[in-house]
Amino acid sequence: MADALSADFVVVGSGIIGSLVARKLALAGASVIILEAGPRVTRGELVARFRNSPRRSDWMSPYPPAAWAPHPVYQPEPNNYLMQAGPYPYAAEYIRQVGGTTWHWAAHAWRNLPNDFRVKSLYDVGVDWPMTYEDLEPFYQEAEEIMGVSGAPNTGSPRKRPFPMEPVAEPYAMRRLRERLASDYQVVSNTTARNSRPYDGRPACCGNNSCQPICPIDAQYHGGLAAEAAEGAGARLLPNANVYKLEHEEKGRIAAALYYDPDKASHRVAGKTFIVAANGIESPRLLLVSASDKFPKGLANSSDMVGRNLMDHPSTSLTFDADEDVWLGRGPQSPSSINTMRDGAFRSQHSPYRLDFTNISRVDGATKSLIAAGIYGSELEKRLRFSAAREMNVKNVLEVLPDPEHRITLSSEKDAMGIPKPEAHYAIADYTRRGHERSQQDFRRIAELMGGTNLRFSKDGDFANNQHICGTLSMGSDPKTSVCDQWGRAHDHENLFLASTGVLPTSATCNSTENGLAVALRAVAHMLGQHNTSTAAGEAKT
Amino acid sequence: MEQVVDQPNAARRLLLFGLVSAYTASLIPWALAQEVTEADTAPFVALSAILAGRQSLDSVQALRLYKALVADDPGFPAAAKALLDTIEQRRIDPMQLQKTLDDEKSPLKLVPWRIMTAWYMGIVGDGAKARCLAFETALNAQAVADVLKPPTYAYGAYGSWTRKPT
Repeated sequence: MADALSADFVVVGSGIIGSLVARKLALAGASVIILEAGPRVTRGELVARFRNSPRRSDWMSPYPPAAWAPHPVYQPEPNNYLMQAGPYPYAAEYIRQVGGTTWHWAAHAWRNLPNDFRVKSLYDVGVDWPMTYEDLEPFYQEAEEIMGVSGAPNTGSPRKRPFPMEPVAEPYAMRRLRERLASDYQVVSNTTARNSRPYDGRPACCGNNSCQPICPIDAQYHGGLAAEAAEGAGARLLPNANVYKLEHEEKGRIAAALYYDPDKASHRVAGKTFIVAANGIESPRLLLVSASDKFPKGLANSSDMVGRNLMDHPSTSLTFDADEDVWLGRGPQSPSSINTMRDGAFRSQHSPYRLDFTNISRVDGATKSLIAAGIYGSELEKRLRFSAAREMNVKNVLEVLPDPEHRITLSSEKDAMGIPKPEAHYAIADYTRRGHERSQQDFRRIAELMGGTNLRFSKDGDFANNQHICGTLSMGSDPKTSVCDQWGRAHDHENLFLASTGVLPTSATCNSTENGLAVALRAVAHMLGQHNTSTAAGEAKT
Repeated sequence: MEQVVDQPNAARRLLLFGLVSAYTASLIPWALAQEVTEADTAPFVALSAILAGRQSLDSVQALRLYKALVADDPGFPAAAKALLDTIEQRRIDPMQLQKTLDDEKSPLKLVPWRIMTAWYMGIVGDGAKARCLAFETALNAQAVADVLKPPTYAYGAYGSWTRKPT
C-alpha cells in the first residue's frame, strides 16, 4: 500500500523546520506526510553512543551515517560524501535521521538584528531580505515559545513580548569573564533553546555539559522533539524514506515525491503541496537531481540560483590560560558572548562578528595534547589540572556574503543508492578575512583582561566551520536572482515550498536555525491559504 | 570499582621488585597495591604506575586495558617488558622518556602513548579500530573529579555551576 500514499502536504525532511511546519499544518487540520531519509534514533541510544565513543570530541561520532542515506563525516576517515571542489574546503556536518541536525546543536536560538535584513541598502554589501525584522518578529516569538527559548533582552534584537524564560544561570567562568571584561566589553547571555526552568514537560538544565553532541535530559530543544510534536499533531512520519526525485505535471506543478527505502525499492507519494525541508545541502541536491526535459537545470532553477550563494559562519579563535582557576565544563557549553561587533558602518568594509566564549570542558583536549607532548608521571596530572582550570577560548563568528560562485552542485560521483553526491564549491572571501583580522585585537584585549598567558591563536588561514548552512535556496523578490519568494514558494512551481535555512539570503552573525524556522512558520499561513483549508493555527496569529 | 589505596602488600611488592631495579622501583608510587597475579601483566602494571604517576590504579581496569592492548598487538607484552628494561637500565626519567625514544627513533616510541591513552582517555586502538573501554573511570576524569563531572553526568541542581569551584 506504500505506493498509494498521498496527503495534502508532503514534507521532505523531518528536521526542526520541516517537523514544526508539518506540526503547524497538521494542527490546522491538513493531512501531512513527512518523508525522512534517515532512521529513528532515541536520545538514550545517542547518550550511550557518546559515552562509548573513542572520539568524544567528534560530535558526529554518535551519529554514524546510514548506508542508504549518508551524510558527511570526517573521522576517523572522511567518507567523501560531500565532495569538495575547493578552493577552500567546506566541511559541513549535518545529520540525516528523524529530527535532523539539531540533535547536536548548541541550541543557540538567535534572532537577527533589524539591520541584518537591509545590508544592501545600508552598507552596499550582500542583498536585502524580502521582508523586514518587524514582519518576522511575531514568528520569532512563535518559534521561541515552541522551542522554549531563554535569553536576556540586551542582545540587540527588539521584542514585543518577553522571552519564555529568563537566561540560564551563568557559569562561574562566564561570570568572571563578564566581570573582568566589563571595562571594555559587555558580555551577555546567549539566547538559547535551553530550559532555565521546567518547560513544556522538559526539565531545567542540570549542567551536563554535553549539549553537543547530545543533551541527555532534553533540557535543550531539538528536532527529535519537533518530529514527535508533528506526529502528535497528526502528521505521518516515514523514516528511512530517501526522496530521490520530485515529479512534476505538464505545467510544472509538483505531483509526487519518489523515495527509496533502504532496499532501494521505489515508492511514490502524491500530494497537493510539497515542502522541501531537507537542509541547505540536501534540498538543492534534490531539486537538481529532479531535472526533467521540461526543467533541464533542475526544479525551481530557471534562475540558475539553486545551490548558489552557499554561506555559513567561519570562525577563528584564541585559546589562552587565564590567571585564575575558572574550570570550564561546569554548566551548559555555550552560555555567553559579546555582541558589539554584530553591526555597524564597518560592515561596508569587513565582516561583522559575534565573539563567542566556550564553556566546554578542556579535560579531553588537554589530556590528548599532554600525552602527545610526552608529559608523563606526576607532572601529567598536575598539568592536566592546570589546563582544565585555566584554559579559556574565544572565537569569532564571521558573516559570509552571498556569492553565486560558492555553491552546491551535483558531483559526478554517486552515493550507495546511485544518487549523485553533493559537491561544495567554497572559498573564504576577503570581506570575511578582514573581519577575522579586525577581531584579533579583541582576542588580544580579552586575553589581556583575563591575565592570559600562553596565547594560542588558531592556525593562520584556517577557518573552522559552524554548520549554519544557508543561501542555497535564497528567497527574494526577483525570480531572476532568487529561488523562492518570501514565503518560500518556488518562483517556478506554484505548489512547491522551501522551508530551510537555505532560504536565508544572507548569513548575518548568528546561528541560522531560529531565523530559518521563523521564516518557515511565517510561510505556513500562506501555504494553508493557497491550499484553501482552514485558517492558520499555532502560537502566532497573523 | 576496586580501588585499593591501603599500604602495599609485601608479596606483591616483591613480585614487582623481581622485575624492576632499584631505580625503577623508586619511580613507582608504592602506595600502588594491585593484584599482580599474572607475571606477564607485571611489566604493564609497573610501566602504568611509572607513566601515570598515580598512587593507585584499578586492578580490574588494568586487566581490561592490558587485554585490549594485547588484542591489538600480540607483541605488546614483549614491548612493555623491553620498555621497562630500557627505563631501568638507562635510568630514564618519565619526563625525558618520550623525547629519548623519539630522538632514537626507537621501535618502542608508541608504547608509552598507547598505555597513557588507555589509562587517561580510556581508549585503545587507532582510527576505525579505536574503542572506548573507560569513560568516567578514565584517569583524566578521575584527575579532576573533585571539580568536574564527565560530560553527560549532571553537574548538580539547576544553577549549582554558578558557584566558585573549590
